[in-house]
Amino acid sequence: MNRAVAMMNEEALGWVIRTRDPEFADWEAFTGWLEADPAHAAVYDALMAADADLAEIVPAEPVSIAVPANDAGPRGWKPMRWPKFAMAGGAVAAALAGVVSLHLMNRPDIYTVTTRPGETRTVALDDGTRVELNGGTTMRFDRRDARFAALDGGEAAFTVRHDTANPFRVTVGEAVFEDAGTVFNIVHSGSMTRIGVSEGEVIYNPKAEAIALPAGRALTHDESGLRVMDIAPDSVASWRQGRLTYANAPVAQISGDIARSLGVKLDATPGAGAMRFTGTIRLDRDPVRFFGQAAPLMGLRAVRQGDVWLLKEGDGPPR
Amino acid sequence: MATGLSAIFLNNRPALLRFLRARGAGDESEDLLQDMWMKLEEKDLGPIADPLPYLYRMANNLMLDRYRSATRRGRREQDWAEGAGGVMADPSEDIAIDERLILAEKLDEARAVLQSLGPRVELVFRRFRLEGVGQRLIAEELGVSLTTVEKDLQKAYRAMIALKQKMDTE
Repeated sequence: MNRAVAMMNEEALGWVIRTRDPEFADWEAFTGWLEADPAHAAVYDALMAADADLAEIVPAEPVSIAVPANDAGPRGWKPMRWPKFAMAGGAVAAALAGVVSLHLMNRPDIYTVTTRPGETRTVALDDGTRVELNGGTTMRFDRRDARFAALDGGEAAFTVRHDTANPFRVTVGEAVFEDAGTVFNIVHSGSMTRIGVSEGEVIYNPKAEAIALPAGRALTHDESGLRVMDIAPDSVASWRQGRLTYANAPVAQISGDIARSLGVKLDATPGAGAMRFTGTIRLDRDPVRFFGQAAPLMGLRAVRQGDVWLLKEGDGPPR
Repeated sequence: MATGLSAIFLNNRPALLRFLRARGAGDESEDLLQDMWMKLEEKDLGPIADPLPYLYRMANNLMLDRYRSATRRGRREQDWAEGAGGVMADPSEDIAIDERLILAEKLDEARAVLQSLGPRVELVFRRFRLEGVGQRLIAEELGVSLTTVEKDLQKAYRAMIALKQKMDTE
């Protein structure tokens, strides 16, 4: 390559980087460079195109995106996936040091990803599997084994790249879920575990019960034991689309889902908590607007007490 | 368009036109400006912090889209639409196994190249290119100078674009 061309490429690359910066503002200087030689624009375009293609070959390392809680979207729901500013500084420090997390049996390959209530994160594993964490969730992953994940608490949706020879396994407490080519969602809270399968199939505890859960089936494990039931595949992990969909679900469970998804503190009176709801609730980051719509839908009333919302049984006759 | 953006657009119309011409839009520069104006009128864009850079970026994105569709490499317009932030490739369900294997190999190769540049360069590149974080902020996070971040990025970009070109010719 002759020297002039090489220099032009270098300059163009500099402009690619500069103009790609979200804070770039010196467009006049950029105009000046473009005007200096009609060939500049073409070189810049070609490099910008190459830059766009890089997304296909640069693997996302597991920890990727954090979204600030209570960052009210414009209208309705927007899964805000790209932070405007810094994400968890801890993750950066960890990546720098090459070591993550304290409570992890000194395995430097295992690292933890946590979301605050109301925050979501997407983790892209090297094998093409995608894990979306809802708010209030803690998970562990293994840098050396992309087929491993542990859900320690909260809720996550899994879109798994299937590999029969090397199945993807999620550990939840004592239980193991093994994929068979799959999209599924798991909630783990206290001693309760709930999984819904929207595509493919998941095997619950392959070495013990080995219960097969095809698409459209759900399993709940809590103090009262194991239950398998039907679920609308569309409703699985609908929180990702800003919706929560239920068939005859207890309000106590729904309020947990709301608290996690919206980052609000939420309680239900025993009477309200025992009620059941069938239908879809649209998530909204404005709690006043959200409860104004959602509570009547469930036949309930929402009362704000300081920073806690309380779900009560509906109005009944006015007094 | 009650945001004052229209006034800024009108005040800077000559500069934007000059930019589009320099960007290679030629005779179409006026039309492109008109398109921009229509888009601005349609959208109710709330207040924008830096209106002029916003308008320039919009014009630049129009040109990038044009280039992409002209070279039929399209499909990633979203990348521009998202502003400076990068969007990760999402290996979708319908990719054949052998293509997945090739993709996996490419990912491995890219990872190896990135790692060979050293952890700071790799981190800076990821923060900038994949997460859309600006250079100034990255420099603050790492406690290094802006120049260091700029140099790291150039180093990473050079290597990655060379790798991409090598892959395309294989």
